[in-house]
Amino acid sequence: MSSQQIQTGTVKPVSPLPPSPSLGGVASLPVAAVVVEGLWSSVWKQFKRNPIALAGLYVVCFLICTALLADFLANDKPYYMHYRGKTYFPIFRSYVIGTGLTQWPAELLNVNFKKLQGSEAIFPPVPYRPTNIDLLAPYETPSPKHWFGTDRLGRDIMAGMIHGSRISLSIGFVAVGIAVIIGVVLGALAGYFGSWVDLLISRLFEVMISIPTFFLLITVAALLPPSIFLTMAIIGATGWVGIARFTRNEFLKIRSLDYVTAAIALGVSNRKVMFQHILPNALAPVIVSVVLGIAGAILVESSLSFLGIGVPAELVTWGSILHEASSATFAWWLAVFPGAAIFITVLAYYLVGEGLREVLDPRLRGLR
Amino acid sequence: MSWRIWRFLLVALLLLPGCESGKQAETAEPTTPKTPAQADSNTPVTGDWLIIHSSADPEQLNPVTSNDATAAEILNYIFETLLTRDPKTLELKPYLAEERPALSPDKLAYTFKIRRDVHFQDERPLTGEDILFSMKVIKCPLVNAPFLRVYYDSVVDAQLVDRYTVRFITKEPYFLNESQLGGIPILPRHYYDPEDLLKNVTIRDLLKDPAKLSEGVKRFADNFNRNYNRNPVGSGPYKFAEWKTGRIVELERDPKYWGVGKAGIDPGFLDRLRYRIVTNPDAALVTLKSGGLDMMDLTPIQHTRGTSSERFKREFQKLEYFAPSYSYIGWNNESLIFRDKRVRQAMTYFMDRKQIAKTILFGLGEVVDGPIYFFRPEYDKTLHNYPYNPQKALELLKAAGWADTDGDGILDKVIDGKKVPFRFEFKVPSASTTGKSIILVLQEELKRYGIAASVRELDWTIFLDDVKNHKFDAVIMAWAMPASEPDEYQVWHSSQAANKGSNHISYKNPRVDKILEEYRREFDPKKRIELYREFQHILNDEQPYTFLFVRKTVTAVQRRFRGIEVYPAGLRPLEWWVPLSAQRYKNLAP
Amino acid sequence: MSSYIFQRLLLLIPTFIGVTLIGFLVMRLAPGDPAELRAAGGLRGAGEGALSRGKVSAVDEALMQWRAQYGLDRPLHVQYGIWLKNLFTLNFGESFKDNQPVWNKIIERVPVTTKLNIFSILLVYVVAIPLGIYSATHANSLGDRVTTLAAFILFAVPLIWAATMAIVFICGGDFLYLFPPAGLESLDYSRQWSFWQKFKDQTWHLFLPVVLLSYDGFAGLSRYMRSSMLEVLRQDYVQVARAKGLNEGIVIFKHVLRNSLIPQVTLLASLLPALLGGSVIIETIFSIPGLGQLGYESVLARDYPTVMALFSVSAILTLVGILISDLLLAVVDPRIAFGRRQQ
Repeated sequence: MSSQQIQTGTVKPVSPLPPSPSLGGVASLPVAAVVVEGLWSSVWKQFKRNPIALAGLYVVCFLICTALLADFLANDKPYYMHYRGKTYFPIFRSYVIGTGLTQWPAELLNVNFKKLQGSEAIFPPVPYRPTNIDLLAPYETPSPKHWFGTDRLGRDIMAGMIHGSRISLSIGFVAVGIAVIIGVVLGALAGYFGSWVDLLISRLFEVMISIPTFFLLITVAALLPPSIFLTMAIIGATGWVGIARFTRNEFLKIRSLDYVTAAIALGVSNRKVMFQHILPNALAPVIVSVVLGIAGAILVESSLSFLGIGVPAELVTWGSILHEASSATFAWWLAVFPGAAIFITVLAYYLVGEGLREVLDPRLRGLR
Repeated sequence: MSWRIWRFLLVALLLLPGCESGKQAETAEPTTPKTPAQADSNTPVTGDWLIIHSSADPEQLNPVTSNDATAAEILNYIFETLLTRDPKTLELKPYLAEERPALSPDKLAYTFKIRRDVHFQDERPLTGEDILFSMKVIKCPLVNAPFLRVYYDSVVDAQLVDRYTVRFITKEPYFLNESQLGGIPILPRHYYDPEDLLKNVTIRDLLKDPAKLSEGVKRFADNFNRNYNRNPVGSGPYKFAEWKTGRIVELERDPKYWGVGKAGIDPGFLDRLRYRIVTNPDAALVTLKSGGLDMMDLTPIQHTRGTSSERFKREFQKLEYFAPSYSYIGWNNESLIFRDKRVRQAMTYFMDRKQIAKTILFGLGEVVDGPIYFFRPEYDKTLHNYPYNPQKALELLKAAGWADTDGDGILDKVIDGKKVPFRFEFKVPSASTTGKSIILVLQEELKRYGIAASVRELDWTIFLDDVKNHKFDAVIMAWAMPASEPDEYQVWHSSQAANKGSNHISYKNPRVDKILEEYRREFDPKKRIELYREFQHILNDEQPYTFLFVRKTVTAVQRRFRGIEVYPAGLRPLEWWVPLSAQRYKNLAP
Repeated sequence: MSSYIFQRLLLLIPTFIGVTLIGFLVMRLAPGDPAELRAAGGLRGAGEGALSRGKVSAVDEALMQWRAQYGLDRPLHVQYGIWLKNLFTLNFGESFKDNQPVWNKIIERVPVTTKLNIFSILLVYVVAIPLGIYSATHANSLGDRVTTLAAFILFAVPLIWAATMAIVFICGGDFLYLFPPAGLESLDYSRQWSFWQKFKDQTWHLFLPVVLLSYDGFAGLSRYMRSSMLEVLRQDYVQVARAKGLNEGIVIFKHVLRNSLIPQVTLLASLLPALLGGSVIIETIFSIPGLGQLGYESVLARDYPTVMALFSVSAILTLVGILISDLLLAVVDPRIAFGRRQQ
């Protein structure tokens, strides 16, 4: 995906060639699975030497942790509560209830944990869920009560950002996951079989490139009922071409190598050759695309939310908070924090992606 | 002037403190030095421009085929109607007609006598032929105005009695016929039908099968649909000057307007009305503050936060008024859960409407409890107002048989032999941020009491489709209405529940049906008010809707304009003027 | 060569059909009925969530009439076929909103969008190429790392954020008033003005949108320039030139630069469609009447003819752009043989 075009939300097609000249180069890759493992560990060693990329990686890990632990960081239920002589662990219990194995005890049904009298409780650092509405505290400026302020409905922004990271990251992963599956499969088929298969699939590439992507995204997101899954799916379904191209090129190169022709001659099935022998060696450019693609998907999602489409009302995402910011410009905290969050996330992914590319490219081209 | 004035005002909530009715010193520098006496004179003078904010282009400027609000506002200055509404009393008054129409004894025929001194903007006289022509255009099935045509279904014939007299025949007696007939925009025949193709076509002809219409009619309709979208010509005080798509629509005062000097007719004082299109409301506010706009509707946030500085108050005054519309939550009266009126009443008690108006509407709304426009005499002020009372709501639900019998945190009840949990879905149009916010608040509240409501957002047309086909449990919507006499038949009569009619919630009450039918045939206003009092009390008790709010509009206007009055029937820039010393714009050559 | 061109042109057709078919299907299969939208008074009514009682919400018959008028009641493949046929005569149909020929609506907005894009492209090139050259010639120095980081940071700033902040803080209102917040020309813009006056006014209005459109391009293009220059710098003949004693400046400008600009030719492919691509976000925020705004509004208003027209225009330009770029590349770089299918 050309993040450039997605960033500006242009109603125009993607630049057909990615801004990296490495693909024109000739390559000969390490040839067997044993060497592949060596490849990745040396990739890691080299990557570590780039402090900026490493910083990016730390940020990404931090975000992933925040997303995974969101329920424990921002919740209106306490970790631990001592009430009327009994001890409870409401947050953990709600997880178990979620799986359907048990239910709330009667005295805890539908209660507001903060208002239970005579209880001793330890609350998470941000004692709100992003959907807790408080009509008496709209548009509060950041204060000890609400570290990042509140929005129009009195919902805590910090809680929104923490839980929003889940949505942003999952959109990124799922969308890119879809793109990878489609892209790798199609690219592999095209590169491996050549001839008419390649012709057909390359035409498909051209079609996808020529479609004005953002335009299509708006069309689908605006006209269909807002849903996170739909948004993920269409971002993935429109962004696989770059990955497919890389995969195709790699397959084309590798397929003509000796060990592959040998395997085929020995009668190894096509599927095995493609996925066991060639694919692991072809993944390098795909990895870079994946990382950059996640950043791109996050940007797209926030652009769509900003326009007010694609995300349902109950869900609080970084983009939807920015959407509110655009109509309440005095509430600078609505713009600064989610904007900064998107910026930092995207930057982190870019740095990691570029770091990877720097490491992987020479490997692809260095063995001359 | 047309009675379809777009903005409706309340006198009491006029101007904010700190703003007198206008003898302040001007902040803009004078363009021409004048003697102090002239500068302070209170007689209206012509000159200067009014730059009005518009958030979108009008779709097109053909009064018959156009269907959008921006266009309607602009066209109001260009076209005129037979009758108009007095801005203060909202009563029908003659305008292009000499007096209100004579009604035949069988209450089906309306005869209008037309003024003889009216001419169009190209100085050709306006006669009965143009009135008849305008009606023909609306009734012609090939003209691209299916939505307007439906509105005039009751008209079955129209005849030219003599050069200045027209008679309309309607299908059945209905007191609003007069108002509808009085509201037709009058088009100049010689301009819109230069070849006089409709000359020998009668209204009765147009009611027949469209396929059998003559070639001439087809040619006329084609031409009319295609070629008159950006060049309207009417008889009004302002002429169309230009339209730059996405930028401005400009109207120019017509110094030769027929109404100059005539009693009761406003000729307009401002030389130009320029609608400046700025899509983004923030950019619009900034443009207003920097002098690029003179008049703008403020969003609630802009009203409470962005426009309270001293500097702003010096430059602009804010006018507040209520638009005749109300929002509501419609409960599907045929669904298992909501067919019990106690449940509906409980839902209303669950809503803290006052607090919602304060927070979500920023105080720019009042709670209403009935479907009639707040400021009409028909509105009954003694209705019960369902204050926020969740305890009462729970009691009602208990009395209705709802309780949590299985310990899952959600109420349930056995209905028709099956155990039904109190789960339902709100449908909300995705473009309506306020509606969404209100529903989210209600959802959170209901969760606490064991009611599981989910929210589904839909694109407008899909939403409408579901509403019309009664595929919903609850919806949040609004009705917008003209400030004229109300007619609730369309929404509450049981016959309107079928065929995708406006009675979306399937409300069926025989007593209400009778009241609605009698009302339509009642030509005495006092009797009508009584009928509707009873009607409103029944609705108040049954709560088929949870009525929500009537919204306040706040408009900021640059202070140099004089003659501003806030009417129940709207802001009328037609009456505004600027003293010579304060005028900012001269008629520059384009 | 000419047979190659002919082949490619022929292949253009099924691709074009594929693109427009996808666009057509997406719009049509998405739920929602333009007739209903017209009846409800267009997008304004939808925003309020309100129905107007005065105009009776239209009866089915009125809706059917409206649909018949635009041929929306025929089966889908027939509709697509008719649309395709009309395309040959360059007849894009009439817009649902105002019956204007779609072609006119597009042409009306082309100058605005093109102007914006040309300036943006120029700005990107003017800034990014020197930056890329500097980065490449001082590779891995502190300066290189700093510029790279700066470019990345710019790249990562979300446009929606930057644009909204600009509107609030430097476009008047409560803070600074450095630039106008909306539109392309001042209120009292007059055709009578001198060229210089008009130029100043337009520049003042266009400055912010152009900068916002361009800032993310700085990163991409400068990185591209840098890596292609680096690749050339690694080549043997550059060492040879240096060894020959040639002045470093001449080495760079005569040999390296020329050769590293060659791959830039491939970017020309995206120039053509870039000229006519409108940015929805910028145009919405700054109220600029360009093609992006037209596209966005048409989608929301389900104005099928306009959407299809914009789709096809974009598709054609991209395809032609790709073709031209491939050809240019083949001409300019003899290493690349056309007829790539032969491996």
